[in-house]
Amino acid sequence: MNYGLTEDQQAVLSELERLIAGTAPDGHTEPEFAPYCEALDQELAQSGFLDIAREDGFGPLDAALVVECLARAPQIVEAAASALVGPALGLPVGLRPVALVEHDPLKPARFLPRAGVLLADLGDRVLQVTVDPDRVVPVDSLFAYPYGRLETLDGLETKDVADVATLRRRWRTALAAEAAGCMAGALALVVEHVKDRRAFGRPLGAFQAIQHRLAMAAETVESCKWLAFRAAWSDSEADAALAAAFAQKRIPQFAFDLHQFSGAMGLTLEFSLHLWTYRLRALSGELGGAAAQARQAALATWPEAAA
Amino acid sequence: MEFGWTAVEQMHRERIRELLDDLLPPDWEQMSLHGPGSDEQTAFSKDFCAELASRNLLVPNWPRAHGGEDAEVWQQFILGEEMWAVGEPRGPQYMNINWVGPALMKYGTPEQLEKYLPPIREGQAVWCQGFSEPSAGSDLAALRTQAVPVDGGYRVSGSKIWTSYAGHADTCFLLARVPASHGGAQDKSGIVILLADMKSEGIQVKSIPALIGEGDIHEVFFDEVFVPEADRLGEEGQAWEIIMYALQHERVGVARYEFSRRILDRAVGKLKESGRWDDPSVQEKAGQALMLCEAARMLVYRIVDGKARDLPPDAYANVARWAIVLADNGVNDFLTENLPEGLLGEDPVQQAHHQRAIAAGVASGAAEIQLNLIARRWLELPSERTRT
Repeated sequence: MNYGLTEDQQAVLSELERLIAGTAPDGHTEPEFAPYCEALDQELAQSGFLDIAREDGFGPLDAALVVECLARAPQIVEAAASALVGPALGLPVGLRPVALVEHDPLKPARFLPRAGVLLADLGDRVLQVTVDPDRVVPVDSLFAYPYGRLETLDGLETKDVADVATLRRRWRTALAAEAAGCMAGALALVVEHVKDRRAFGRPLGAFQAIQHRLAMAAETVESCKWLAFRAAWSDSEADAALAAAFAQKRIPQFAFDLHQFSGAMGLTLEFSLHLWTYRLRALSGELGGAAAQARQAALATWPEAAA
Repeated sequence: MEFGWTAVEQMHRERIRELLDDLLPPDWEQMSLHGPGSDEQTAFSKDFCAELASRNLLVPNWPRAHGGEDAEVWQQFILGEEMWAVGEPRGPQYMNINWVGPALMKYGTPEQLEKYLPPIREGQAVWCQGFSEPSAGSDLAALRTQAVPVDGGYRVSGSKIWTSYAGHADTCFLLARVPASHGGAQDKSGIVILLADMKSEGIQVKSIPALIGEGDIHEVFFDEVFVPEADRLGEEGQAWEIIMYALQHERVGVARYEFSRRILDRAVGKLKESGRWDDPSVQEKAGQALMLCEAARMLVYRIVDGKARDLPPDAYANVARWAIVLADNGVNDFLTENLPEGLLGEDPVQQAHHQRAIAAGVASGAAEIQLNLIARRWLELPSERTRT
């Protein structure tokens, strides 16, 4: 047991933070619901960080560290599925961004307008669809991801992949790692806000009613992070479901509290809280939501054979 | 970063599990119904801890110079985790090992070490913690029990409440205040720590009937009790530093989530046997209770990891404590809803868990204090008193 980063992990995260800082919005950008950061996406594609799980001496845990770190930033890029799902399903290096969808390949999917490939969980198999960006219909939403959908699969290259369990396991881990980073980013923003914003003669953050809920939010962030990292390290079904269940279960209260403490400011695009909370809200509904993950965690932890 | 155990750590865990199989009597589950402060468990703890001591497994975390083994931090923690998993058969003695001993080693005189450490490391000492008072619980600095300096020591008057194990304790780790009339400061620096012999004249212990089990909480009255100066721990004015040191050890050492996790595993087995496990809503709620246990585990491991890597302490102990309260209560709620028969005489272990869970947010200081500390020390939010 060792929660410390290795020298290699420190080096990777340090370089990643440099890339994030180098592509940060300049403050004069018009606020948007879901501004995709092409600059960071290109940097990531060139750096190879999203392929870290494929490298000798590295693995899914390193990929989860990258995903969590990126999600803390306000820049929106597709990283989690590329770093954690793609390598496990044997997608070729560079085939990305990766979009994920359940049940119906024609449903709206995160990142589909930018995606190189769509992986659809069809229950008994995974359908891999090579995406032609011209065929994607953008879908407007409040969620802080670019969404899109396909109107038909006709004429698109598709193939079946048998390993649904791997897709779901890595999707859950990716979701948990991304949620952990989004939570950390959101909490940092709101903590600074309540230190600065004053009411009734003192900073908002000096009121115990606010302190306690932010303290609970801090426990949520930390728990979510370590559960996600453990899931990536073990790559086990139970840990992955548990990490995703925890994240999805906590998202509604977490998002509510953070917006509450940001007041009307938190309802504006200018404040940028939505860049994290509306990623979180999108994540909260994937793979059937918290109830489905909790059930899956229970079934994987206490399988019938062990009764 | 690594979340696995070494082969040595796994062997250590196996050894402890085998030992527990050998040492716990067949009626241990029934005995645990009575609570760690009961006559039965206190008496059992002396036999059990003596057995652990004979195998160098009672105080392995202590330095060799004081009879320990200088054990690795994780080895000691695994020991505690396995003890909690079966309901903590060390009973009241876990706190001697975790913090009373270490506080004595750091601040005690050679005479105090000679007097108090041997019975602890032999598994024969029962201590109680004379901290809380009727008007000073989580707000410890408000305590009013007086220690009036007299020739050769102090005369202590006042009362303590919620004191666990007082009915069987040999010694009380007692906090009292030197009155202003005798030069004591009225803030934290006016507190002294006295190692009071519980057989002293003037001490009266009254058990308080409670939901959390017999013999667990008491009121202790001090009527002009003489405590020799030789039994004061540290100097006058040093008490708060010692308390903080002791509490740091106390709060890190307890793997309560493991008891919750094991009882949850057990509950799922019972639900399967009775055919109730097939209900998806039961599975979902079990999964939610499980995630709370595992979150608490990961946060507690993070603290232990900090100790193992010799990192400076931070507010993670407070974050973890909150997670433990959620885990204990989450599991308890699941059990009460889905296995209510466990609280109707069918399952003494479930009842013992219930009794610990309902105290989780109160014992060792209210959980809200932990939230205050997370806000202040982890998030660096301004003090409530801040005014612009």
